[in-house]
Amino acid sequence: MGKRKAWSPILQAGLAIGAMGIVLLPVFLCQTPWPTAARDYLVQHGQDESGAINLVSAIYLGYRAFDTLGETIVLLVAVIGTMGLLSRVESLVNPIGDDDNSIQTVSAFSLRGEKRSSHVLRTHLLEVVTGKIGPIVLLFGFYVMLYGHLSPGGGFQGGVIIASGIVFLALGNQQDNTSVLSKSSILGGIESVSFLLFIVVAISGIFFGKGFFGNPLADSAYPVGFIVLMNSIIGLKVGASIGFMCIAMMGGHD
Amino acid sequence: MRPEDIVFATVMLPLLGAALAFCAKLLPKGRFAMAVEYAGALVGLGLPPLVLIVLFPVVFNGQSISGVVGLWSVGIGITFRFDGLAYLVNILGYTIGAAAWIYSLGAGPKGPAFTGVFLIQTAALCATIMTTDLFNLFVCLEIMGITSYVLIPTSGKPGATLASFSYLMVSASAMVFFLLGTYGFYRLTGSLSYGGISAGLQTISTDDTVLSIVSLALLVSAIAIRVAVMPLYGWLPDAHALAPHAVSAVLSGVLIKTPLFALSRILFLLPSGMEVGELMGIAGGVTAVLGVVIALSQEDAKRLLAYHSISQIGYIVAAWGMAISIGVDTPAGTSLMVAAFLHAFYHAVFKGLLFLSIGTTIDVANERNVYILRDGIGKLRDAGEKVPITFICFVIGTLSISAIPPLNGFVSKTAITYAMKGSLNYYLLSMAAVGTVASFIKLSRIYWPTGKRGRLHIELDDCLGTSSIPISRPPGLVARMTAQSLLAVLCVAGGLAAHHILTIVGTLFSSGGTNSAVLPTIYSGENLLKTGATTLGGVLLFFVAISKAGSTVLHTIRNRPRSFQGLFVSFSLGTAVLAAFLVVGKL
Amino acid sequence: MVERALLLCLLLLGFWGVVAKKNIIKKIFGLNILNAAAVMLFILEGNRIGTEAPILESDLALVVDPIPQALMLTAIVIGVCVTALALALAVHLYQITGSFDIDTIRERVKDAT
Repeated sequence: MGKRKAWSPILQAGLAIGAMGIVLLPVFLCQTPWPTAARDYLVQHGQDESGAINLVSAIYLGYRAFDTLGETIVLLVAVIGTMGLLSRVESLVNPIGDDDNSIQTVSAFSLRGEKRSSHVLRTHLLEVVTGKIGPIVLLFGFYVMLYGHLSPGGGFQGGVIIASGIVFLALGNQQDNTSVLSKSSILGGIESVSFLLFIVVAISGIFFGKGFFGNPLADSAYPVGFIVLMNSIIGLKVGASIGFMCIAMMGGHD
Repeated sequence: MRPEDIVFATVMLPLLGAALAFCAKLLPKGRFAMAVEYAGALVGLGLPPLVLIVLFPVVFNGQSISGVVGLWSVGIGITFRFDGLAYLVNILGYTIGAAAWIYSLGAGPKGPAFTGVFLIQTAALCATIMTTDLFNLFVCLEIMGITSYVLIPTSGKPGATLASFSYLMVSASAMVFFLLGTYGFYRLTGSLSYGGISAGLQTISTDDTVLSIVSLALLVSAIAIRVAVMPLYGWLPDAHALAPHAVSAVLSGVLIKTPLFALSRILFLLPSGMEVGELMGIAGGVTAVLGVVIALSQEDAKRLLAYHSISQIGYIVAAWGMAISIGVDTPAGTSLMVAAFLHAFYHAVFKGLLFLSIGTTIDVANERNVYILRDGIGKLRDAGEKVPITFICFVIGTLSISAIPPLNGFVSKTAITYAMKGSLNYYLLSMAAVGTVASFIKLSRIYWPTGKRGRLHIELDDCLGTSSIPISRPPGLVARMTAQSLLAVLCVAGGLAAHHILTIVGTLFSSGGTNSAVLPTIYSGENLLKTGATTLGGVLLFFVAISKAGSTVLHTIRNRPRSFQGLFVSFSLGTAVLAAFLVVGKL
Repeated sequence: MVERALLLCLLLLGFWGVVAKKNIIKKIFGLNILNAAAVMLFILEGNRIGTEAPILESDLALVVDPIPQALMLTAIVIGVCVTALALALAVHLYQITGSFDIDTIRERVKDAT
């Protein structure tokens, strides 16, 4: 019984890349002018219809909000999957393979108090600086999130900055002063509740006569309030999710 | 509430249910949390069928509900379309989803996280079939994909993580190429909706046709990876064999078919769509035969079923491809599409039934190898089934997939072969049917009592000393039996109510509210004779397969080298061949 | 033109990483590069029709096309999520088999089942 020798790996890789390269040449080298119809329509009507002067916000929270819902769902499922896999990794008792039986999941940046003294990369400089910067980064994240309709920014960008703020706070705690934002229950809670809120806001458009995912505030004085609300929900959700994942991958969760 | 909003209930209700299930995860474990989770499942899997019942008269009259999400203008917003095709795929998704979730209450991974992700998967496939916007299709396919990557490793088997990783790598890379196809179409036409792209493509210059063909080829091959036609099937056997049983049922039943039907929306509207259908039809026929040959060689029970899924998807793609290449507006095209969908639906039902009943059997016996596992009925009886429901369900599933009347498999396979009489695919599919019978005889051996059959075929590298296999009582017997019986009843009903169902599906696929498909007579003498001949051929093939020469051949097939790289080589070469075929066809 | 040729090279480099590299972490790098190349192509080409960012302020210079930018926001987030999940799967595989090499992992998983 034995396996036949497979095709040479270099030949296989060369075939795959060569075939794809030839197929993609027309896509990358075409000279057709880029269409301007969408840009012209949005420059004319974008601000009136959605209330935001940031046209990108008008698109992803107005015209194509359904895609944003899909993206939020992908983030949610990815976090659940990652957390499920990482928690199982810790509880594995019988690994196959005998290279290194003392494999540790905690990395050099371990957030666990008891491991801290043994990890050389966890210097005092790191802890002091990140601890002090953390709240400032959080504040900046909230600013980017809330001003998304007026300047470059928005829910996702602000959310990622909030996530890095959460990571800074988690790294920077000294004397085991764990910030409340590093607790997995709080972060998980923020994430699930924001998802529920997002769905409720999406459905609410129906009851205001604007159709599914329509803007329920479109006839009121501030139609842009819808975009601000959605940006906040998305920012909190993305911040909590990505912060949660980063903290879990660094080995520190309770 | 307008019809457009009701239509979105099929997508939003499972998402609401998932949100409830995730909130249940936050609550402390106990009765209340479980109640919230079950409420979420009820909202997500129980209410949408009611919505579908409400929508039936609208869709049956030939109207389709289309519009733009959020009532924005057509050029910028996301367009959607809910017609007969979307309705039927929704029914498929909810039937199998409900049965699989009930089974998982008994057997497989439980818990609010599993329920939530399962419901999100159901919502994603309803959104996939309803959308008529390319980027929205990208997002929906990614949601379907990521829920699969998360659900496959929940079975805890080590191979499942590797299977999920391989599937993730192949699928995520393919979606980047899908994105490049979207780039091509947006650059040419300035629009992302199928209607806008189709209108824009009428006015492009001849220099740009190569770009439009290449973009279409990229889109089609990215979707073809999900559908697992030859040669892009490499990820499927591991993923479906090592996932938990409920997840295998949904993966095999629904997730490999929905992208195919979503692709048909694109191909109806674009030029060169018909040539794509033609090439995929041929690929489907080849898949049907090769899949069943490899299935015959497998020794793991669930892997055998997974290769059968590949073979059956070959049937569906062959019929679907021919329908698109002829044109769905013609009566012949409509009947092929009806046959393709009917086989997709019935396959989901009987393959789900087979996965669930085989799953129960191998859980009870703690053994997956078909050469070793024997006396399945006895083990099931010891584990608590006084009446061998699992065995009866397995028999119904086997008879369905082998196309024995009066079960539903007979109806759908006859409809397909009738609709493609005389073409090359007809002969390929007939050969595949013979192979199907043979491999299911091989699989059913796990139920025979020991000592009755001839010599057992013992592999050199299998562990011996299997007489003391511990018998474990499968947990959650009631849930498992309920789910299996539900699907079994559907199998039988599908066979008995053949003519009515054919008429209904035909009406839903035609436009205008009346059936324009040509309906075959299912229970004619000629068809029954053909079934008899196929079964006889299958029995003969089985005896050839267990002979010395046959088993050597099968052993070689089973141990052929399969690598991670092979997935990508076949993807690249497949795309290149498709693009070349389309360019040559245009010249 | 030069930029697009370079982006094609970048994309093929990422694809080569996914296909040819044996270490699964390097495969995940390759997937990231693949995503990045596709995103950059959209943004680069969308920027050709204007000069200003798509925020409507008082001056009336031509803005760039906002649609590719909005689409790529979604694509980037989805890419990050898939990468995170892939890394978690890689860590799990390492725990089970003790190796990051795809062939070794395949052998050990097959022996264990």
